[in-house]
Amino acid sequence: MMKNMFKTAIAASLLLAGTMGATFQANADELDTIKSNGSMKIAMSGAYPPFNFVDEENNVVGFDPAIGKEIAKRMGVEAVIVTTAWDGILAGLLANKYDAIVGSMSITEKRLEVVDFVGPYYRMSRAVFVKDDSTAKSLADLKGKKIGATLGETHEKWARDKGDWEVRTYKGLPELLIELDNGRLDAIVVDNIPVLLAIKKNGMALHQMDTPNIEGADDSAGIAVRKGNPKLVAAMQKALDDMMADGTYTKIAEKWVGADIR
Amino acid sequence: MDYDLMLRVAPYFVEAAVITVQISILSTILGLTLGALIAAAKMSSIMVFRTFGTVFVSVIRGTPCLIQLFILYFGGPQIGINLDPFSAGVIGLGINIAAYMAETMRGAIITVDRGQIEASRTLGLSKLRTFYYVTLPQAARLMIRPLGVNINAQIKATALVSTISVVELTYTAQRYIGSTYKPFEMFILAGVLYMLIIYVVGRGVSYLDKKAVIQ
Repeated sequence: MMKNMFKTAIAASLLLAGTMGATFQANADELDTIKSNGSMKIAMSGAYPPFNFVDEENNVVGFDPAIGKEIAKRMGVEAVIVTTAWDGILAGLLANKYDAIVGSMSITEKRLEVVDFVGPYYRMSRAVFVKDDSTAKSLADLKGKKIGATLGETHEKWARDKGDWEVRTYKGLPELLIELDNGRLDAIVVDNIPVLLAIKKNGMALHQMDTPNIEGADDSAGIAVRKGNPKLVAAMQKALDDMMADGTYTKIAEKWVGADIR
Repeated sequence: MDYDLMLRVAPYFVEAAVITVQISILSTILGLTLGALIAAAKMSSIMVFRTFGTVFVSVIRGTPCLIQLFILYFGGPQIGINLDPFSAGVIGLGINIAAYMAETMRGAIITVDRGQIEASRTLGLSKLRTFYYVTLPQAARLMIRPLGVNINAQIKATALVSTISVVELTYTAQRYIGSTYKPFEMFILAGVLYMLIIYVVGRGVSYLDKKAVIQ
């Protein structure tokens, strides 16, 4: 508490003085830090079923935590799961709040500029969903319509670059599905797997549009870590490769997604 | 309404409400302490303190609490301040509410009749004694209710810390919506718990206010 109070005093005075100065950069590879701590903090939104979500007992479960825990186990450390809002998840990684994001993040050029990726650990495809009673048959039919995307996801930028739509952004997939269902959105642009599963599980009257040659149909998800940690990347990649080779990965994928999605 | 589901998950919402209460209490204590210091600084005869107090209040009240939390939590590590989410939430909210607390306290203090202060100074009481025996007892009564209003606002502001990875009442509701797709039920649960917390605090403030009436 005293230490915190002291930090507060420093924080307050520094902020007020407006001296946003030198950037701190760790020099040693974070693999050593993780090993000596005996634990690795992994982040996800906690609101993206079936990849990461809470069960009724409020435990974070799903494909992502299962993969994250397995990687940690193979590295000989314990996984600590952190849930945080998706739009601030990269900022949190860069601010040293956790060691890795195992949260269904797709690997993009832009993200590669600020983080390194382990993986890919699964493949996903961009898809556009509409209600079953929608008259739209192709992307062209959606011109001028309201289309929803998750803030900070690759699909948001894609939808904006198209320029034909009124793009609305939301915190996450649950909000998107609810808004599409209640008619405030005409379509949503998302990754197909979680939505297909949600439709099946909850009996929603939605379907995936037939969008041949849509860009991003072969995206892949990776595990983001801070740059400059080649040893950490190698260790995590090895753990991932090993579990893909020995069947553990398939078991996890079958359990949570119902298919091998590598 | 899916009452069964609400009943099943309610215990976990109560656990989350405990986090909300903890953040509320700790940040309010910090806010009251820091607020008293800032109020004193603003009323000080020393220029440096007055300037500091004025700048603090206008910067904090002039920027959104959410931005202050982000600067502390995400920006902090750049200047060597690496706080865990809970501490960052308490400290960020505490600093924010301190500015409002300071203005409330200062407002109550300057409301006390100037004539009384002059009278007690004439009677030979020192500045400090005048403040302690004459000004403060009257000002304290005046500030109970408005400080209570600040605390009420503070409890609701704790929802902001869900953006910096603290799993409190609001983020618990959001996580459950993620897996159940039942926004109405989950937000009702969270809302009821917020109301309970605020009701209890409101009763406490009313009690103090009644106790403080001059007999």
